[in-house]
Amino acid sequence: MPELKLDRITKHFKNKIAVDNVSLCLTEGVYGFLGANGAGKTTLLRMICGVLKPTSGEIQCNGAEIGRLDGDYRQMLGYLPQDFGYYPDFTARRYLEYLAACKAVPKPIARERVQEMLRLTGLEADQRAKIRTFSGGMLRRLGIAQALLNDPEILILDEPTSGLDPKERIRFRNIISSLSKGRIIILSTHIVSDVEFIADEILLMKQGRIVEQGAVARITKNAEGKVWEYLADQDEAVRMNDSFAVSNLKNEGAGVRLRLVSDVCPCEDAVPVSPSLEDVYLYHFKEVSEHVENLERRIL
Amino acid sequence: MTFHTVSGRHADTGNESEWRFPLDETRRSQSLALIRQAASKKRIRHYPALPELIWSQLCFQPLEHWLAQGCTLLIAIMLSLWLRREYSDAREITAVCSVFFVFAGNIFLSHIARLFSWHMAELEQTLYLNLKQMICIKMLETGIADLIILVLFLGLTGSGDALGLGAALTYMLVPFLWSDTLYLHMLFCLRSASCGFRSLALGILCGIFALFPILWESAYQPEYLPVWQVLGIAGGLLLAAQISVLLGKIDQGDSICLD
Repeated sequence: MPELKLDRITKHFKNKIAVDNVSLCLTEGVYGFLGANGAGKTTLLRMICGVLKPTSGEIQCNGAEIGRLDGDYRQMLGYLPQDFGYYPDFTARRYLEYLAACKAVPKPIARERVQEMLRLTGLEADQRAKIRTFSGGMLRRLGIAQALLNDPEILILDEPTSGLDPKERIRFRNIISSLSKGRIIILSTHIVSDVEFIADEILLMKQGRIVEQGAVARITKNAEGKVWEYLADQDEAVRMNDSFAVSNLKNEGAGVRLRLVSDVCPCEDAVPVSPSLEDVYLYHFKEVSEHVENLERRIL
Repeated sequence: MTFHTVSGRHADTGNESEWRFPLDETRRSQSLALIRQAASKKRIRHYPALPELIWSQLCFQPLEHWLAQGCTLLIAIMLSLWLRREYSDAREITAVCSVFFVFAGNIFLSHIARLFSWHMAELEQTLYLNLKQMICIKMLETGIADLIILVLFLGLTGSGDALGLGAALTYMLVPFLWSDTLYLHMLFCLRSASCGFRSLALGILCGIFALFPILWESAYQPEYLPVWQVLGIAGGLLLAAQISVLLGKIDQGDSICLD
C-alpha cells in the first residue's frame, strides 16, 4: 500500500508563494483538493508528480524521497495534467501505445491495457481516429485513459472533469470510485460535486495553504450555524446579495428564498440550516469570489 | 532421497527412496489459496533496458521524421558525388559541405522540438522514460545521423585527404556546433513555435550561421586554422553548457509548466 508524505512543502515563483508550508500524509483513498483558481492546487500536484521541484520541504513515497526513487516512483504514477498534452497526428490507440511504452508496460500487456482503457473510457469506436478530430470531452477521456494505463498506485488527476458532459461526469466518478481500492487517488477541482460523493477526504486550499481537511461530514459539521435560509422580498434580496455570501437564490411567489453563508445571523427571521460542502466552499472562498466580482466590475 | 527425521515417514510403496512428509490436503489447499491471493495483489514491474527504450522511441517516430532523415542522407550522398566530380578545390567542397551539414543537423534536431510541443512536456516528464531521458535518446539518434553525414562527406568528397582530416573536421564542425547551440536555445525558449514546420524554419534560420565563413574568402586559408580551432573548442563548450542548462531546466520543471 503506498504512502505519500509531504513535509513542509513550499514553492515560490519569483516573489509569489504558490504553495506555503503544506504538510500531509496520504494513504489509500480518494483525496479531493478543492480551491479557487490560483489557490495552488496545480502547483502542489505538479510537485507530487515530480514535475516541479519544491523550493523547500520534501515529498516522500513509502519513506524514500521521490527524487531518489526516480523511475521507480514514476512507475507508480498516473497523471492527468490540467493542460493535457497530445500529439494531434496520432490516433487514440497509437497515442496510448506510445505512452504505455514510455511507462514501461510490457508490449503484450500494453496491447490488452490499451483496449481495456479504450473500453473503460468509451473511446473504443474512435481508437483509429486522429486525436486532432476529438472533441473536448473525448480528449479528457483519452487523458483519463492514459493516466490509468500502467495501473498506477498513485493516481493524480488535475481538473479531470473539465469539458465532460453530466453523463460523462457520472461515468468518470464511478470509474474513480471503482479504482480507489489499494491506491492513492488525488483529484483537484473547483467543482464541488466532482468530489463531494467520492472523496474520502476533502482538502480545501486557499492562497497556497490547506485551510481545512477531513471527511465531508466533518467539514460540513464545522460549518454548522453558519448557513441560513431566509425568505426576503425582492428589494431586500438585492440588499442581502450585496452584503452576504449567497449560495442559492430561488423565487418563491412574490419573495425570494435566500441561502446565506455568514458567521452571524444575517437577520432576525433567518433560520439556520444544515450546511453542504458547497456552502463550506463559499464560506472559505467568498473573499476570492468578491475579488473576482470586483475585478469583473472594473473590467466592465 | 531418504530423510532421517523424527516426524517423517516413508511412503507405503515398499521403496525406500520415495519417502515423503505426510500431507494435510486441507491445510495445503488453504495455504495455496493464501499464496495465490497474495500473488494476485503483487504488482509486477518491468524495467526495460536502454536498447529496448531506444527501440520503443524509434518505433513511435512519425513517418515525416524518417522521410526527412532518409531524404537528407540521400541528398548528402548525391551532393558529395557531384562535388567530387565538378570541383577540384577541396576548400570549396568543404565550405559547401559544411553548410549542408549544418542544415542537415538542424533538420535532425528539429524532431527534439516535438517533445516540447503540444503541451506534452509536462506529461512526458512524469513517465518512466521521462522527458530528460527522451531528449538524451533523441540527441543520441541525431548524433549518429550527423556522424554518418560527416563520414559520407569526408569519405566521398576526399576533402579529408586533401586538407588533412583534422582541418577538414574543424571546418565542418565549427559552423555546426555554433548553429546547433543557437537552435537548441531557440527551441526551448520558443516552445510555442517549436512544432512542425515552424521548428524546421527556425532550424534553417539558425543554419544561416554556417554561411558566414563563406563570406570571407581567406577564412579557409591554413593560417586561420588556429582561429577555427579556438572557435571549435568554444562552440563545443557552449553546446555542452547549453545541453546541461536545458536538462537542468527540465529537472527544475518551472520552464516546462510555464508557457
